[in-house]
Amino acid sequence: MRGGAFLAQRLVALVWVLLGISIVVFLVLRLTPGDPAMLLLGPVATVDDLSRLRRELGLTAPLYVQYALWLGRVLHGDFGRSITMHRPVLAEAFLKLKATALLTGAALLVSSVVGIAAGVLAGWRRNSAADRLSMLLALVGVSVPVFWLGIVLIYVFSVWLRLLPAGGMHSPFGGGPLDTLAHLILPAVTLGAASSGIVARITRSSVLEVVHQDYMRTARAKGLRDGQVLRRHGLKNALIPVITIIGVQMGFLLSGAILTETVFSWPGIGTMLVTAILSRDFPTVQGGVLLVAGLFVLVNLATDLSYTLLDPRIRYES
Amino acid sequence: MTVGVRRVLALLAAVTLLFGPIAFSHPGLAADQTLVVGLVAEPVNLDPAQVTDFNSTRAGRRVVETLIDFAPGSTTLGPNLATSWSVSPDGLEYTFKLRPNVKFSDGTPMNAEAVRFSIDRQINGESAAHKLGWFPYANYNFGTVKDIVVVDDHTVKFVLKEPRASFLGIMQGAAAGIVSPTAYNKLGKDFATQPVGTGPFKFAGWDRGNQILMERNPNYWGKAPRLQKIAFRWASDTQALLAQLQNGTLDLITDLPPDSIAALDKNPQFTVVKHPAIHVWYVGMNTTHGPLRDKRVRQALNYAVDKTAITRDVLKGTAIPAISPINPGTWGYNPDVTRYPYNPAKAKQLLAEAGFSNGFTVNFWVPESGSGMEAPVAMATVIQANLKAIGVTANIQTMEWGSYLKRLTTREQDLFALSWAAGQPDPDFVLYPLFHSSQWTPNGPNRALYKNDQFDALLDAGRKYTDQALRKKIYFQAEKLLTDDAPWIFVDHQLWVMVTKSSVKGFYLGADQDIHVNTAYRQ
Repeated sequence: MRGGAFLAQRLVALVWVLLGISIVVFLVLRLTPGDPAMLLLGPVATVDDLSRLRRELGLTAPLYVQYALWLGRVLHGDFGRSITMHRPVLAEAFLKLKATALLTGAALLVSSVVGIAAGVLAGWRRNSAADRLSMLLALVGVSVPVFWLGIVLIYVFSVWLRLLPAGGMHSPFGGGPLDTLAHLILPAVTLGAASSGIVARITRSSVLEVVHQDYMRTARAKGLRDGQVLRRHGLKNALIPVITIIGVQMGFLLSGAILTETVFSWPGIGTMLVTAILSRDFPTVQGGVLLVAGLFVLVNLATDLSYTLLDPRIRYES
Repeated sequence: MTVGVRRVLALLAAVTLLFGPIAFSHPGLAADQTLVVGLVAEPVNLDPAQVTDFNSTRAGRRVVETLIDFAPGSTTLGPNLATSWSVSPDGLEYTFKLRPNVKFSDGTPMNAEAVRFSIDRQINGESAAHKLGWFPYANYNFGTVKDIVVVDDHTVKFVLKEPRASFLGIMQGAAAGIVSPTAYNKLGKDFATQPVGTGPFKFAGWDRGNQILMERNPNYWGKAPRLQKIAFRWASDTQALLAQLQNGTLDLITDLPPDSIAALDKNPQFTVVKHPAIHVWYVGMNTTHGPLRDKRVRQALNYAVDKTAITRDVLKGTAIPAISPINPGTWGYNPDVTRYPYNPAKAKQLLAEAGFSNGFTVNFWVPESGSGMEAPVAMATVIQANLKAIGVTANIQTMEWGSYLKRLTTREQDLFALSWAAGQPDPDFVLYPLFHSSQWTPNGPNRALYKNDQFDALLDAGRKYTDQALRKKIYFQAEKLLTDDAPWIFVDHQLWVMVTKSSVKGFYLGADQDIHVNTAYRQ
């Protein structure tokens, strides 16, 4: 089966990509000035305490030995314990990844729904007021920095109107799905804003291209109404580039999530990685980056595979 | 407006109205029984002996208590789990009488064995308990402990290898917290994330990434707290922390940047509390490098810097100018030292006397941020301008905190900005590590590479004698020598600022930057 062979090939490539990433991350962390032992003990550290702690953390062995030991453990599913959090890296990273996945997923939903709707409206009603307004908003969405938008939304909806919470994933002493949803709205909109701008622009140009195709004219000639032409023939053809861009946006959203998580105190993997990098928490950074990279590669693969579902003409051959 | 747009707006309004109020309700609890504390980072660990950051101790010390503690609002040590203590005349034995009938929140007794266990697990590398934890400051705190003797069920004796007059201060520190041996042995490595102690609150849950919950400890030996529950939450972004205070989610926050405080100070909904922290912010001068070897040059740099302008304009009143490393209001503070009021003319004259009338150039290392560093880059910029005015060119190099600490061990620094939060009023905790010649970096934190034999001898004597009146005389003399030698530009002591909702009363702040909420309540 050709599709199966393609998938297998991509999965093998995934292993190499992850191995490469793990080496780069490992080296970059160790070549960055700063030492986890010194950061943990702070300015009071004595040379004896530091060398004892470095031994305990396994930082005294040669680099290739440290890497080999780490890789060996990872292959057995043991990502080690965080130096600062004193918890297993894998458990902590999965917990945080769940929060990030929720945020990124919600932002993707916001950006797809808003972006496609605005793009279709703008493309279909080209040069109308709706087109101009949509594209203006798309430009604003793309241009506004995530942290600025986040803070403005917090001040309007949380501090001033007091409609939505300002941060965190749950209320103090509380919880539940509705509570989480309330906490999710502002960060998802903040994170999704820039992407929805991009999606809207791509959708618009894609729709414009499709509008003048022969099959669209034929559909109209058959007597279909405008809305039917758009739904049955226009959208499906216009959406291929949009799906690509939404797939690419996943990576963008994952990186944008770091800032959004900081502004909204969202307990995601972005915040965890930034904290871990600043405190030179090697096992956490290595494990966390590996997971995020794996996720990113898988999302790309899923995007590629989704083309075949949307357009039967597309086939992958190995 | 089209029908579609109207529909969307209506839906948005419905969603926010539906979910909004949920966010601010505290299910099942009356508002006056709970307190939500905002920290700047998630605590990493709640066993105070295993902790290196303030956020963790601020939560952990609600659960785990020490034998002695500061009397409320003061820097005088008073009884806590110990009712009294005595020191042998040679300064080698510290005997503590324990409070009777105290139980840990798991119901097991707090006794002399529990005290021995709590400290022994940190220093006895051979014990099974030692391997269940991670004790970064064990050597710093208890390196001088030779033996811990259980005299009887309610009496415990610490035998030291050498006199250390500041040992009582160590017994107040977070690392000297007394934990339940039963719970520690049972929970092993997980004890650090679910500690069991004798405090007014007991650990009730850690929703990782979101909050830590505590509730009243029914076994607490003292007066029961009025609060029923506390939640600790965190936001690394100070604007986010501020927004959560303003929208009512948080009741109490700390570590705000100076700029935010002025606006809150005028708002009647909030109470701003300022409390002296035992802390000093300084510019160290490498006393082994070039012109800085000359005492007159170092004095000139001290005269050149306008400390009052820094505390007033950069730090907006959240600090007071320093004349020495010792905090005013503590017993070791000598007001009668060589002082350096802002005087550029005098500075120029001293430079000329030292043969540098045309000035000179030095490097000036500054961290971008860091624990207790206030506003390092802005402060360093003012200092740079001050030095320029007397002809000294200080080339600022800013560094990320981790890289900065590492580079300071190279001894290549000329000038460097750093701070020290001893948390203890005993001057030994400041003067010895920072200025004793045995503590030159990388062996210790003496990064100005200061050495004065007479001064060293005074500090050694200060550790040896236990009579406080005598020690006060010794340290007063040491501070005179030190300020005259001027290995630092003494800049400021931070005022620790906390903001609460006006309805929250009864809490107090410790000089060690701890937040005491045992007596807190909502009006």
